Amino acid sequence: MTTIATPTASAADTQAPHYNPKSETAGAKRLKSAIFHVVALALTAVVLYPALWMIASSFKPNAEIGGSNTSLWSSNFSFDNFVTAMDGIGGVSTMTFFTNSLILALGAVVGTILSASVSAYAFARIKFPGRSVFFGMMIATLLLPFHVVIIPQYIIFNQLGLVDTYIPLLVGKFLAADAFFVFLMVQFMRNLPAELDEAARIDGAGHARIFGSIMLPLMKPALISTSIFSFIWSWNDFLGPLLYLNTPEKYPLPLALRLFVDQTQSSDYGAMIAMSVLALLPVLVFFLVFQRYIVEGVSTQGLKG
Amino acid sequence: MIDRRNFLTTVALGTASAAVLAACGQPSPAQTGSADNPVTINYTWWGNDDRAERTRKAIALFEAKNPDIKVNGNFTDFPAYWQKRATEAAGGGLPDVMQWDLSYLRDYGQRNQLLDLSTVKIDTSAFDKSLLPSGQIRGKTYGIPTSTNAFAVYYDPAKLASLGIAEPDGSWTYDEYNAFLTEVGTKSGGALFGSSDYTSVWWMFNIWLRQQNIEAFTEDGKLGFSKDDLKEWWNKVADLRGTPAIISEERITQLLPKSAFGSNATASEVTWDNFMAGYLGDSGAKELKLVPVPSDDPDNLGLFLKPSMLMVASAKTKNKDAAARFIDFMVNDPEVGEIFKTSRGVPASKTQRDGTTFEGTDKLVVDYEKSIEKYLKDAPEPPIVGFGTLEASFKRISADLNFGKVDVNGAADAWFKEAEDLIKQNA
Repeated sequence: MTTIATPTASAADTQAPHYNPKSETAGAKRLKSAIFHVVALALTAVVLYPALWMIASSFKPNAEIGGSNTSLWSSNFSFDNFVTAMDGIGGVSTMTFFTNSLILALGAVVGTILSASVSAYAFARIKFPGRSVFFGMMIATLLLPFHVVIIPQYIIFNQLGLVDTYIPLLVGKFLAADAFFVFLMVQFMRNLPAELDEAARIDGAGHARIFGSIMLPLMKPALISTSIFSFIWSWNDFLGPLLYLNTPEKYPLPLALRLFVDQTQSSDYGAMIAMSVLALLPVLVFFLVFQRYIVEGVSTQGLKG
Repeated sequence: MIDRRNFLTTVALGTASAAVLAACGQPSPAQTGSADNPVTINYTWWGNDDRAERTRKAIALFEAKNPDIKVNGNFTDFPAYWQKRATEAAGGGLPDVMQWDLSYLRDYGQRNQLLDLSTVKIDTSAFDKSLLPSGQIRGKTYGIPTSTNAFAVYYDPAKLASLGIAEPDGSWTYDEYNAFLTEVGTKSGGALFGSSDYTSVWWMFNIWLRQQNIEAFTEDGKLGFSKDDLKEWWNKVADLRGTPAIISEERITQLLPKSAFGSNATASEVTWDNFMAGYLGDSGAKELKLVPVPSDDPDNLGLFLKPSMLMVASAKTKNKDAAARFIDFMVNDPEVGEIFKTSRGVPASKTQRDGTTFEGTDKLVVDYEKSIEKYLKDAPEPPIVGFGTLEASFKRISADLNFGKVDVNGAADAWFKEAEDLIKQNA
């Protein structure tokens, strides 16, 4: 333990060489807290600067973004970039891209919640032959790099004629292919007391009833965390839609964003940044609405409600 | 008992055989369409909003003229475009017709992913004879150029005027060009740099080699120049590095994603003439001009026309005839030229070029290519497999040179090692 030498505390320190928290004066405490806040604020500023830059740049004319322009705000403040961004690309309106992203993200949330919770229940509460083997296999899929399966998966979906539909992007979510979420829920369920199930069983409940009436309500924090993550991941997914979608009318936002920047022609950075700002909003709203549940999900261990 | 090693082998074999099976497929009979029951072909391209809009118009025109064919268009940005093509090629799902880039032609052509276009009916009579070989590999035509670029020196006349420097007339030696860069740097007091390091641009090096009648790559895909050639090249601006004649690498990095020239930090730049619209947009300059590259031999500028992009078809397309008709339309039809202007580059086919009216910036680029006509030589063969990597490492090692991390000898050694490794790998 070391003491922080401060002018006000120095007199006390010479008399009491061992650190004694009680000897710390109110002034030293305030100074410590001030230093902590200054450092924290400085770090926040560093972390948030890119976001600030993005928002500021979305109001600048294209020629003033990047390059030798270093000022954050432009005197030529305008909403033109947003107008261009909302115009859409190649005859497809930006609202279409938003709708597509929303369909994919909500589909992913619903699919993951339904399938992962049921699979997790099976792994955590039902003793079936080969359970540990299957559980191990599921965990193993977590270790499989995504890039290894891209081509085989593409071949399968291509042969099934499902390319250029949303099915390749969503079917995995409905089949609990996201092992991470299954694992998350299994761990959560293992912490719920088994006595609850046993009591329900004595009352005559089957698996469906136990799952629906007892487990699901108790798992709310895990379900919320899962929804938030799968929403954000799906909203930001670029590679999946890139590989499986061919028609511009079906593109989600991340694909559309990239179309504003073309190194081989002229790039409209302004419109791209404006669209990034717009694309960020739904994720931000989703997060703000559910964020208190995230905290709840982390702090609730075991039983609640 | 499955141990881990066997398991991996089994999975790998399974995957590989699945890929092979998928690649084989069954040859299906050629389909023909009618106005009532049109065949559908997929066409894909990279590019921005503007190109998407123009292409949509061209497709609508094609469908109006060919009611028996329907074209499904789709597009992505350039880097993602190649990720998607790589996956599709492995999975046997390449679109029927694709916009293509020269640096990927040999790779996909050699792997038999592309259709030999000499087996279908496409009219190439209006093309410059020196241009067509750039779409051919070992006697097979895999790509038809839509349009051309030529290399040039850009400069901003307004910046030169404000410094009181005379505009270059385009016939200059390397020493004169270096002197020009130095004059810009000194007269502006360091506020404006002459250019970025032109010796870091692969194509400029390639042109300098051609000025001495050296080909960069031999026919069997080996390097056609020696380490000494490369050292001599990088030494050309040895005295200029670190002076206001050449912008520092640090500054270039600060300016990203824009180029130094596009951010008004330099007065000139060597690159392809189709960057005009991008530079004008980025810099906000009123006017930019183009002159030929420097050469120590005034009769041999080493210049050539490079296809800025090509049209190719998938080897597995079920609608060869429809694909060929669409390619023919996109490269030859004068109305298509009128739609795209020079946004794909200067139209390669004479019928298309003559059918298009060029104004403003478009005219500058077309006039430039006309002005260098008498210097043009045959376009080089499609670059070797892995050329993109080589070009990138050329740039990276040149940057190290400008940072002062290596000297010219070390840089040449480093690049040659990378190049030889890569050529061995792909041999």
